[in-house]
Amino acid sequence: MKHRTKQTSHEQEQLSQAQSQSTAPREFTSVTEALREDRARVEVPPAVEQRLNESIAKLPKPPPQRPWWKRLMGD
Amino acid sequence: MESTSRPGLETPGFADLYREHSKAVYYLALRYLGDAQRAEDVTHDVFLKVYRKLDEFRGESAFRTWLYRITINHCHNQQQSWHQRHITTTDDDAVLDATGNAGESPLRILEIKELGERIQTSMDRLAPEYRLLLLLVADEQLSYEEVAELTGQTADAVRGKLHRARKAFATQFEKTA
Repeated sequence: MKHRTKQTSHEQEQLSQAQSQSTAPREFTSVTEALREDRARVEVPPAVEQRLNESIAKLPKPPPQRPWWKRLMGD
Repeated sequence: MESTSRPGLETPGFADLYREHSKAVYYLALRYLGDAQRAEDVTHDVFLKVYRKLDEFRGESAFRTWLYRITINHCHNQQQSWHQRHITTTDDDAVLDATGNAGESPLRILEIKELGERIQTSMDRLAPEYRLLLLLVADEQLSYEEVAELTGQTADAVRGKLHRARKAFATQFEKTA
């Protein structure tokens, strides 16, 4: 129980450290560095994937390919 | 089963392509157009085109370059149709020349959460050509030569314009503080 309490306070420490890091002032040495950081934080909304799947499902299906022996015999 | 409801992204290889490249496409569209909904539309349209035209990709350029070419075309189309509906009087030349002296100073932000907002505001004030160069160069996977190819100019011209674009961006970024 004591061990668990210690671990919890350690976790809390890590959490507050992470929180302070995420809100701490930050300096970028270049525009590219700032843009890369920004890009790392942007996520593609899941709605895009869903819409894409729906659109692909609506695409006309290609005609089934004839078996090789039919193609060979020209029928 | 999931496979019946997710035909596209279960197609062999396509899911991997989407996973690997969708962020690059979305981010370029988001910051170039400055509109999350239009960036979603572009990402959707680009990957739908990729799905349909993948067999036309001849491998003469890197896949990422081919993908960016499609993305840039879609962004330009989006921008043109938007401008047709919204007549603006932004003087691009004035913005292009507004480079100030902020080019060499570091970019400071008080909180990381404000980064995206300030980057977008700064981007919105730049000429589209500068915006595109900055965003393409920010992709580690692209070389200057590939950026040059995508923007239809020499690598030396890219370097020169990029220098001015960075200064212009830094000036605008400072103003957003």
